[in-house]
Amino acid sequence: MTRQTETPASPVAASRRISAESRRKALLISLQLGLVIAALLAWEFGARSGAISRFLFASPLMIWDVLVQRSGTGELLRDVRATSVETLLGYALGAIGGSVLGLGLWYSRFVSDFAAPFIAAVGSIPVLAVAPMTIIWFGTGLTAKVVIVAFSCVVVSLTTSYRGAMRTDPDFINLMRSFNAGRSAIFFKLIVPAAMPWVLQGLKLNVGFALIGAIVAEYISSDAGVGHMILLGSSNFSMNIVLAGILLVMVMMLVFNFCIGLLERAILRWERK
Amino acid sequence: MAHALEAVGITKSYGASPGGVAVLRDLSFHINRNEFVSFVGPSGCGKSTLFNIITGLMPPDMGRILIDGEDTTGRVSPRLGYVLQKDLLFPWRTVLDNVILGLEIRGIPRREARERAHEVLKSYHMDGYEAKFPGQLSGGMRQRVALMRTMITDPEIILMDESYKALDYPLKIALESELLDVVKKAGKTVIFITHDIEEAVTLSDRVYVMKARPGEIIHEIDIDLGTDSPSIPERRMSPHFNTYYEMIWKKIGIAPMAA
Repeated sequence: MTRQTETPASPVAASRRISAESRRKALLISLQLGLVIAALLAWEFGARSGAISRFLFASPLMIWDVLVQRSGTGELLRDVRATSVETLLGYALGAIGGSVLGLGLWYSRFVSDFAAPFIAAVGSIPVLAVAPMTIIWFGTGLTAKVVIVAFSCVVVSLTTSYRGAMRTDPDFINLMRSFNAGRSAIFFKLIVPAAMPWVLQGLKLNVGFALIGAIVAEYISSDAGVGHMILLGSSNFSMNIVLAGILLVMVMMLVFNFCIGLLERAILRWERK
Repeated sequence: MAHALEAVGITKSYGASPGGVAVLRDLSFHINRNEFVSFVGPSGCGKSTLFNIITGLMPPDMGRILIDGEDTTGRVSPRLGYVLQKDLLFPWRTVLDNVILGLEIRGIPRREARERAHEVLKSYHMDGYEAKFPGQLSGGMRQRVALMRTMITDPEIILMDESYKALDYPLKIALESELLDVVKKAGKTVIFITHDIEEAVTLSDRVYVMKARPGEIIHEIDIDLGTDSPSIPERRMSPHFNTYYEMIWKKIGIAPMAA
């Protein structure tokens, strides 16, 4: 395929191209880091000189102080833990449960055709719209938050997994049939692994949706969590707390994405060979 | 004794009949045990439909397929295995695990299946490739793994549909030589579907010539190249080759142009 298209003239040329590529990467990263540092410095000095309103925008060091102070009191850990637990439990229920359901729909064309409009209907409801009702149904504890998170990811996982399962090449299914494989053998040995790239795609998308769900749930009602921290900060006009919370959400998102990336590499190891 | 495979009056059309497009009309043929029989014909002669009907993946409108005297029309028989042009290896399975797929489905313990697969790989001089993924293999290697996956389940009949079409010429020759060697030694019956007259003549003991629209058998030729060698170049250079080639070409010669 691409093997013959680019044959390096010599090992020297090849290594020269590699070093050119790595130089490009180094330049990109230093430019990106430079921009962030410059912006932080400008923000900090702007805030100190009064050019930037500390009331509206706080300052990098003020945000840093919030983080340091809150880790000292243990609030930081408590909030991050609360949001993580809600996100992970809801994700396990919604994203993983949705994937299993989506794959399972492969079993019956009739059931999936029957369910299609209902799935679409549920998928069209914004999580914000149902969140208050969830609180009434499940109370203000962990359960309601887990349900909200699960609700915000279930449909995406369900539809991507189902699509993946249905895209399996019929020739592969015929091959399985020629070996006298039953529906379950076809499902577990062929459909599930074949759909895995789509399942993982859904799981990746849902990391973001799950975290959004958790923050929304905490906005509605909570006594801990990063969303709680942001809400409380903004009702006291403490922009440093709000921005510290947003920073925490970004970091959590990075960590969750990294974990899913590891999972993907482990499951799709054959794709890299 | 019953034929290894027999087809009686196979007819198939697509779309609502009447008015549907007839693809196969009244096909009757038989394949003897240990025989290598090719079906050769232009595109449009219903080769894929014939393939699907023989495998039992698709029922014919009329007619019957008998394997070893047993009616298997419209259902898959473990006595028949197939190899397609698409190798259909599972990309997430290693070579070894691809080879044992059929055994695994039949419920043979993994350990035993793996042991057998190791032996088969060795006999194809592919030991050392067990842990590779199909994506790491060349097209020829993949096609050989596909053949092993079929052979290891020990079907009496192997059905091949344009199996080597996508390979370059020298590789095709090498794989066909290997195929002949393997099936003759293992005493297998082979049904080979192709549009390539040369391929049909060099490989086969007998050739059914088909015409298109609707697909019908128009001729049957016994091939005797005067050699038992599985080597394709040797068979190709047989003095009888051209005679057979010409006979078949004259039967279907003009049709490919129209297709």
